[in-house]
Amino acid sequence: MTTTLSVLIVDDDPALLQALPQALRLRMGEVTVETAESAAAALERIAVQDYDAIVTDIKMPGMDGLALLAEIRTRRPDTPTLIITGHGENELVVRALRGGACDFIQKPIDRGYFVAALYRAIWAHVQNRRAKDRQLALESCAEELEQIVQKLEREPRAVPGRAES
Amino acid sequence: MPETATQERQAAVADPGAAVTAEQRLRAHVETLERRLRKRDEQRRAMLHIMGDLSEFNKRLANQRKAMLHVLADYEQDRRRLARQTERLDSSRRALLHILQDSHQDKLRLEASRKAMIHIMGDLRETTAEMQRREQELRDKQEQLVQAGKLATLGELTTGVAHELNNPLNNIGLFVGNAVDLIELAVTEKGQIVGELRHAMQQVSKATEIISHLRTFGRAAPVSREPISLRQVIERALSLMREQLRLREIEVTVDLGPEEPVVLGNAIQLEQVFINLLTNARDAVAEAPRKAIRISGSTGSGAVEVALADSGHGIPPGLERRIFDPFFTTKEVGKGTGLGLSITYGIINEHGGTISVVSPPGAGATFLIHLPLAPAETEETSP
Repeated sequence: MTTTLSVLIVDDDPALLQALPQALRLRMGEVTVETAESAAAALERIAVQDYDAIVTDIKMPGMDGLALLAEIRTRRPDTPTLIITGHGENELVVRALRGGACDFIQKPIDRGYFVAALYRAIWAHVQNRRAKDRQLALESCAEELEQIVQKLEREPRAVPGRAES
Repeated sequence: MPETATQERQAAVADPGAAVTAEQRLRAHVETLERRLRKRDEQRRAMLHIMGDLSEFNKRLANQRKAMLHVLADYEQDRRRLARQTERLDSSRRALLHILQDSHQDKLRLEASRKAMIHIMGDLRETTAEMQRREQELRDKQEQLVQAGKLATLGELTTGVAHELNNPLNNIGLFVGNAVDLIELAVTEKGQIVGELRHAMQQVSKATEIISHLRTFGRAAPVSREPISLRQVIERALSLMREQLRLREIEVTVDLGPEEPVVLGNAIQLEQVFINLLTNARDAVAEAPRKAIRISGSTGSGAVEVALADSGHGIPPGLERRIFDPFFTTKEVGKGTGLGLSITYGIINEHGGTISVVSPPGAGATFLIHLPLAPAETEETSP
């Protein structure tokens, strides 16, 4: 994780879009935070960029956080998504987690908790990606090995010494 | 006499001398007889005359008798008529007596009625006092109901307001936290820290505004009457509802025209009217394909009419009359108190206005409020 992380924050409250990125920059250091004022704007961003994590408010006019989450799951299934909910909205939290959110953050936002959750999500994402990469590599190795085995089986006579004995 | 005459004749026969005398005597006798005859004739004639007179007289008498009879008949008739009149008079007298008796009884009855009336008047006075007391009680109850309704409205608003308050509080936490971080990181540039704190202050005033508005709205203030701008009332009601309407993507348009309608009334109460109507409209459009609420107004001479129309499914036919009844609600148990519209009705009524609803089939409902304008201020500000 040496490269700069990129995070997208989606909320309809302009004040929050001012405060939260600043908090992330102060607490996380090397991070690029982008913001979107609506789910529709967020989808436009997602189409052109692959973020390390997306944080979205659950209550928004138009497409709400849950609908956005479902869209992200189909367009960017690997991107970890965190949902911001109001305090005590347990039912919404459960729906978000079932919908594939990797974590939830309750308002009022505890910055320490938020940053930790975000790190954890990104780390899990990176680990996941690394595991997948390794699996892919392993798979290609296994395929290569299989090809060698097949090749060897197809040319038994070519083995030197056998014909001579 | 004939015997005498016969004797004379016999004497004359017997004695001729005597005959002459006898003859003389006879002659005298005849003369006498003739005289007597004449006399008798005269008498007869006189008698006849008398008889004629008598007959005449008799005839006259008969006539007079006939006349008398007529008179008598007339008299008899008169007598009978008189008798009948007497009889009639008698019965009239009896009837009069009856009437007099009746009238006496009537008078007694009237007297009794008058006494009863006095009693009733007394009772009526008591009843009126009782009525006035009841009316006052009712007015007090009405005020309590309005207050209860306000609290119910507040309760309904709480969810939305809690969300509204949560946002500035959350933002304050973040901005202040950022400032603390900046200080801890020993950032020398003050501008950045001050900027964070300024943002926090803005959010504080936003939260304060919401809270103070709620406090004013919920306060059981004495109902004062003052000239108030209807536009401001609607704006304030909308400001309490805005977040809820925005989150539900309900498009709200307000068009009150170029005039500034001012009504004599209570701002808080009228605000409640619009909050109640907006709450209803909000729920009415929840399932509608197009969610819109339109508030339009037109100011005429002496009155302003405000229409609040929604794009919901309207009011089921037959319910228009009941929707203003207290505790009537079509919402689920626990969702609505059924007080909103009845309180709205009461408030508009108290302001001397009217409220009605039209809901043509297949279209949303439109509430029409008619309020008298405040009398134009006559006092001129002289320099």
